[in-house]
Amino acid sequence: MGAGQSPGMKLFSSIAAARPALVTGVPDGMLAEAISLCQASVELTYIACAREEECIGLASGAAMAGERAVVMMQNAGLLNSLGALATMGLRYGLPFVLIVTNRGALADPNGYDIEKRDAFDAGVRPVARVFDFDAGALPDDLVPAAFRWAEAARKPVILALEKRLGSDTGAAA
Amino acid sequence: MSQSNLPSQQDAIRTALSLYPARPFAVSDIGSQSGWLKAAGHDARNLYVSGPMGLATSVALGLATVRPNDQVLAIAGDGALAMNLSSLATIAGARPKNLSILLLDNHVYEFTASAPCPTRELDWLSVGRAFFGADQCLTLDELTPERWAGVARPAMILAEVAPSAHKPAPLGMTPAMIRLEFLRAAET
Repeated sequence: MGAGQSPGMKLFSSIAAARPALVTGVPDGMLAEAISLCQASVELTYIACAREEECIGLASGAAMAGERAVVMMQNAGLLNSLGALATMGLRYGLPFVLIVTNRGALADPNGYDIEKRDAFDAGVRPVARVFDFDAGALPDDLVPAAFRWAEAARKPVILALEKRLGSDTGAAA
Repeated sequence: MSQSNLPSQQDAIRTALSLYPARPFAVSDIGSQSGWLKAAGHDARNLYVSGPMGLATSVALGLATVRPNDQVLAIAGDGALAMNLSSLATIAGARPKNLSILLLDNHVYEFTASAPCPTRELDWLSVGRAFFGADQCLTLDELTPERWAGVARPAMILAEVAPSAHKPAPLGMTPAMIRLEFLRAAET
């Protein structure tokens, strides 16, 4: 990834580098640029879902066929999807990658996000592996590395992206 | 048609699968639909979904997307599809050329034996046509293999079925068995 790229462009480049057969999601402000780039890409197939739980279903269908799938959503969306994550992704051991914006961080103090973050910590972390990242300083090989981990572990992996104090999160909402 | 004249879920699934010239991938919802799909005939191309009721249509869309040259049939009950009605909007938007939905409507949550679905008065044919168009939402009893071959996808088949007096036999497969068998079928 080149220097000076926006966080959304960096995330898109990392997703593209993993060569997924399917990318799906429901937008969050912090994901909007990456999703737009995925939708515009001729190399990726992006399917916009009406609801986050559907995304888990789509990724499961692709992974059942042995293909890589990436899901993007906000933490509240993953909370909507926990049953699907547990009974499909975890039960069948499907190595797809979830990119989740973990809103409600210290640098992201919208009042309506605080409980989402608390519920994410209480409800998601005990059942699924979460790796946390600064949305403004993503590693170049983030998504390919996440697939390598998920495929070795034979289960989904969650990349939780958050705004951090002093970091460049660009124009993310 | 009186309830006594309605086909069983198992027979409706078998009839729908027989519309295809070659066995499609069949993705069935948890419980009733997976049990009756297996009873209708186990095949490595059957994907028995263990996830929340209604997720089969979404799983089928993911599968159809990564296997664009294969036909995929999602098998959902009325109670199940009501839980993931938004998936119809997603499928209509994605326009997969190889995905169809078989909706088995018996007006009850079959595993409860009697609890009625909130959609029991719903006109599912109109719902399907609102999402996919009149030519792409048809009833099972009006379809023949020849007619089905000419129906554009995504499409929806509505089958009124009789509630069963008993549950289907358990799948008898572990998640690992289901995944491995299906993976082999999907990779060939």
